Amino acid sequence: MAHLPYVEYDQADQVTKQIYDKTEARFQMVLNIFKITGHAPEMAEKMWEIFFDILQEGDLSWYEKELLILKSTKMGDCFYCVTQHEAVSARLGVSPEKQADIVGVVYRTSPHYEANEVAMLDLCSHIVLNPEGIPKETWAAVKQFYNDAQIVEIVATIGAYLQVSKFGDALGVELEEVWAGHEPVLFNAEPPNSKAAQGHFDHFVSQTPNA
Amino acid sequence: MSVVNQVESPTTGTEEVYASAVNYFGHVPNLVKALGSNTNMCNSITNFMIQSLGEGRISWAFKELIILKTLKTMNSHYSYGAHEKIARDLGVTEAKLGDMANSLWETSDHYSEAERLVFHLIKQIGIDANDVSASLWEQLKQHWNYGQLIEINAVITTFLMIGRVGDALGVSDPVLFTKDIS
Repeated sequence: MAHLPYVEYDQADQVTKQIYDKTEARFQMVLNIFKITGHAPEMAEKMWEIFFDILQEGDLSWYEKELLILKSTKMGDCFYCVTQHEAVSARLGVSPEKQADIVGVVYRTSPHYEANEVAMLDLCSHIVLNPEGIPKETWAAVKQFYNDAQIVEIVATIGAYLQVSKFGDALGVELEEVWAGHEPVLFNAEPPNSKAAQGHFDHFVSQTPNA
Repeated sequence: MSVVNQVESPTTGTEEVYASAVNYFGHVPNLVKALGSNTNMCNSITNFMIQSLGEGRISWAFKELIILKTLKTMNSHYSYGAHEKIARDLGVTEAKLGDMANSLWETSDHYSEAERLVFHLIKQIGIDANDVSASLWEQLKQHWNYGQLIEINAVITTFLMIGRVGDALGVSDPVLFTKDIS
């Protein structure tokens, strides 16, 4: 159970209802992570705009952004985000084999990854671990493939998903019932480092029909 | 030096957000200029930053302490000095700032129990956001309402993001506000 109650549509104020309507139109449902922000609509309105901007084609393709989201949220052991984006990225054409190879540094030698994607994912790992220690070779590799507007979008996508994953995990936001039966890819390929995240993962798998 | 070109003058799609930045901060911060080549990201991140920096459900002065503690906990450096100045301008004493920077806040008379609990939340998010205990949330709820707790959690995680983005792009903003905020 989440640590704060979700704000349902009929309990929401006008600003929150507009956010929920926009969410429903974009994602076909109002996720729990949106519902918990209904307690502070003025903050939620601005916060979610970042994610509405990211989750679409931009200067960077949505497909590439999904790879960054999977990588950054997996590194943060966010089971909620990883599960959501295993599904979104699959819809955009990321195969389960490619998803699984994103863990650790497997992507570097995986036949599923192009050189530009490897450069981008290397940068992602450095930003998550130590943004002040990004080697010049990593930047040089990224700049071979991406211009300034795309680099901004790469860095912003990683930062934003670190933000929302910690935001949701700290509040204990739960996966929606619709995910029952989902076969996890990334966490099966590489278990979480966090004991608490492992607990969430084990609980989810134990709830899966026929588990 | 910034990894990307800092866009000094607004282009199509960023005129309004550059104007908002001037209106709010007194100038366009370097972070906004570094984001300036990407219209969507520049708009949404700057607007969220403006929303976060001001009086809200919790006081701006306490938000600044949350921001400073978050940046320190996450080992982020972007705008640290600027937020120390903002905190001072908003009336936070040197003694309170000093006790924030290490572990003295845990026993310092300058911190209330409600504030200490928020710092425990920051510390735990830094260690493992998956492992914030129900007990800590129950204690937090005794001092803060739901809206305040969402705002607190948003400020912590937003400045985790801003710190990461600023440091990764190599941006420096030694002063965020050039207009009087006291």
